Amino acid sequence: MKLPATTALALILSAGLAQASDFPSGNVTIIVPYSPGGSTDLVSRQLAVDLQEIWGVSVIVENRPGAGSMVGTTALSQAAPDGHTLLVNTAAASTAPAIQSLPFDAETDVTPIKLIGQSAYVMVAGSGVESDTMSEFLEEAAASPKFFATAGVGSSSHFAAELFLQQAGVDGDIIHFSGGGDANTNLMGGHADIYVSNTASVIPYVRNEQVKALGVLGPDRDGLLPDLESSGELGIEGININAWLGMFGPGGMDPDLVARIDADVSTAMQSEGFQALLENNFIVGGESSPEEFAAQYIEEMQLWRDLAEQRGIEAD
Amino acid sequence: MDIFANLALGLGTALSPYNLLYCFLGVFLGTIIGVIPGIGVLAAISMLFPITFHLEPTAALIMLAGIWYGTTYGGSTASILLNIPGSPSSAVTCLDGYPMARQGRGGVALLMTTLASFGGASIGIVVLTSFSPMIAKYAIYISSAEYFALMLLGLVAAATITNGSAVKGLAMVVLGLLLATVGMDSQSGAQRFTFGNIELMDGLSIVALAMGLFGVAEIVTSVRRIHPGDVDPKSATWAAMKPTRDDIRRSWVPLFRGAGIGSFFGAMPGTGPSLSAFMAYAVEHRVSRTPERFGKGAIEGVVGPESANNAADQTAFIPTLSLGIPGSPTMALMLGALMIHGINPGPNLISEQPGLFWGLVMSFWIGNLLLLILNIPLIGLWVRLLMVPYRMMYPAILMFICIGAYSVRYSPFDVFTVLGFGMLGYAMRVFSLPPAPLLLGFVLGPLVETHFRRAMIMARGDAMYFLERPFTATVLALTVAVVVWSVWAGLRRRARDKSGLLDQ
Repeated sequence: MKLPATTALALILSAGLAQASDFPSGNVTIIVPYSPGGSTDLVSRQLAVDLQEIWGVSVIVENRPGAGSMVGTTALSQAAPDGHTLLVNTAAASTAPAIQSLPFDAETDVTPIKLIGQSAYVMVAGSGVESDTMSEFLEEAAASPKFFATAGVGSSSHFAAELFLQQAGVDGDIIHFSGGGDANTNLMGGHADIYVSNTASVIPYVRNEQVKALGVLGPDRDGLLPDLESSGELGIEGININAWLGMFGPGGMDPDLVARIDADVSTAMQSEGFQALLENNFIVGGESSPEEFAAQYIEEMQLWRDLAEQRGIEAD
Repeated sequence: MDIFANLALGLGTALSPYNLLYCFLGVFLGTIIGVIPGIGVLAAISMLFPITFHLEPTAALIMLAGIWYGTTYGGSTASILLNIPGSPSSAVTCLDGYPMARQGRGGVALLMTTLASFGGASIGIVVLTSFSPMIAKYAIYISSAEYFALMLLGLVAAATITNGSAVKGLAMVVLGLLLATVGMDSQSGAQRFTFGNIELMDGLSIVALAMGLFGVAEIVTSVRRIHPGDVDPKSATWAAMKPTRDDIRRSWVPLFRGAGIGSFFGAMPGTGPSLSAFMAYAVEHRVSRTPERFGKGAIEGVVGPESANNAADQTAFIPTLSLGIPGSPTMALMLGALMIHGINPGPNLISEQPGLFWGLVMSFWIGNLLLLILNIPLIGLWVRLLMVPYRMMYPAILMFICIGAYSVRYSPFDVFTVLGFGMLGYAMRVFSLPPAPLLLGFVLGPLVETHFRRAMIMARGDAMYFLERPFTATVLALTVAVVVWSVWAGLRRRARDKSGLLDQ
């Protein structure tokens, strides 16, 4: 089929200038770059239900797992920036690019839209650790080096553990597992000692008393988990990060469209179901603007790139 | 632990209309596929695999499992009536089932097969119910070194025990392991053999690989080979199905013996239903006071193996569900189905997903009951299905394979992967290279590698770590023994063949 040049041009222009006013013009797909059933998947599915009501079109959750969330993110980067393809990811969005060579530019080929929620990074210990608090653990780890479990190479739990090892100046080995559930199970069996991750992936195991929470990473204690020691109060400096969950679109989205989606997601997040989900997982709903979220995303990506270089983490 | 509460939970899950529907669909499709010659259970599961992605994990697994034991039921129908095994595990059923059909006792053979299958499966389920939670309870203390050793043993055993040439089997396992390295390195994040292709970032699709190797290749090989011969529709009438008092007297002991043999071999890695059926037949032949009747329509030779292969179908789930170690390629596919649904099979499965686990177990019972109810009146239908010319059947099957492969990730790339593996699978058949070890190597490859590398990190680089752990050392020694034994057996066979030639 051969299109007249003018028609082709008109098509390109209309695609390039997807406006906030004609959104949504069809079904919206939310890519979840993880398998079904995980915490990101749960949050996205609740969000899809609420957004469907606001937009009046079908909002479909599509799981595209693989390569530490980067298979799904690659698919996102190739979609049209018309707001009909979105993605929800964790802080892995900023850690994975620090270590993987990707077929897209993580800074320009995705558009950060909305910070959905933030939580503390919680440090949990398995049956191989005697300490009950982070201060005791620092002494125990100094006497005998511990094994730090991660949810996979390049995951946020991997970089959080590396950052802790560097800033606390303790020795330890990293062991990668295939996801948060696997990491927790291996902690229970004593095959690894410590796992640092967001609240949603460790709290269920802490509640069941299968692993114990030692503390949180950050300068101060967490408002929702006030009983846990913070790394800052023990004199460990330079750890000022939070786990988060955010929504992204393909690169080069119209700022008006971004503002429109940001506003609608904020409305959707007020639903009862969504608030309950956040509360159960010790997540604080995100309130920053798309610009602030974009700045946070770029800044963290730089932090992880520097850390990867300093700690000699590279993919080969 | 309250076993009755668990069984009740499972029964509740399995009896929900949604799950019941998929259980029925699974066993029904399984039986059809089992009846059609040339499509084995692996081909069947890999073809119907994509359908299950759109279901809830419990329903998906119930349906896949239904297909799995349904094919074993259906397979015996083709064996008895046509002397063509519908599935490998019912090959033994040909030996005495077909002679029975020729004596006009095909109906009796079909009925007794159905009853024996049900009895064997029920006993298998009891074994599964009683052992899985126990194994799972201790399994979280099994570390990567032990998993590595167990999986290595499983791979070696599967490659060497069940088929003719140990060398060919091992070669295919290695090819499977190599194909599994495509994609992201689990420990460093490096891209391996992806050639910058996004589709390969997460590795080759297990569905496309299985469908190509088993589905496409099996159809291509069967096209000119299968001629639905003269099936006698009369053998499937109600009157022809009534067993004599003598038949029943002869059958019930072999049923229990078969179930015992099947339960044991089903749970072992590398063995499974086919070997169980052969073992049961050999045992019945050995203990019989009238061994000369075997091969001429002895009912014991039908009941024993059928009971064994169905019991093995059930107990094969023990290592798969409680340890996450599949004992056979089919179980590896089941494992794949779980993982695609984001469920980590392993010691935590029973405690974290009690609904799924007990629901699945109870669905086995319901499924087997459905098969019993379904099969007796429908035997006539299966007989008619056997009379459909194959040339009308295979284009439809191929089309479903392509749709299935595409619908997993909506990627045309996967359809080409099916094509590629279909050609490879056909070439492998021509050179009589077994495809099952390849699939097992492919599924276990990433696990074997990851566990080995994790164990090396825990050992802080000291390879002696494996030999210092008593359990790991024992399993590794056993693995070496299996290799040595199969090499020795191969050499002896060759020597015997040679001397045999000289004698002539």
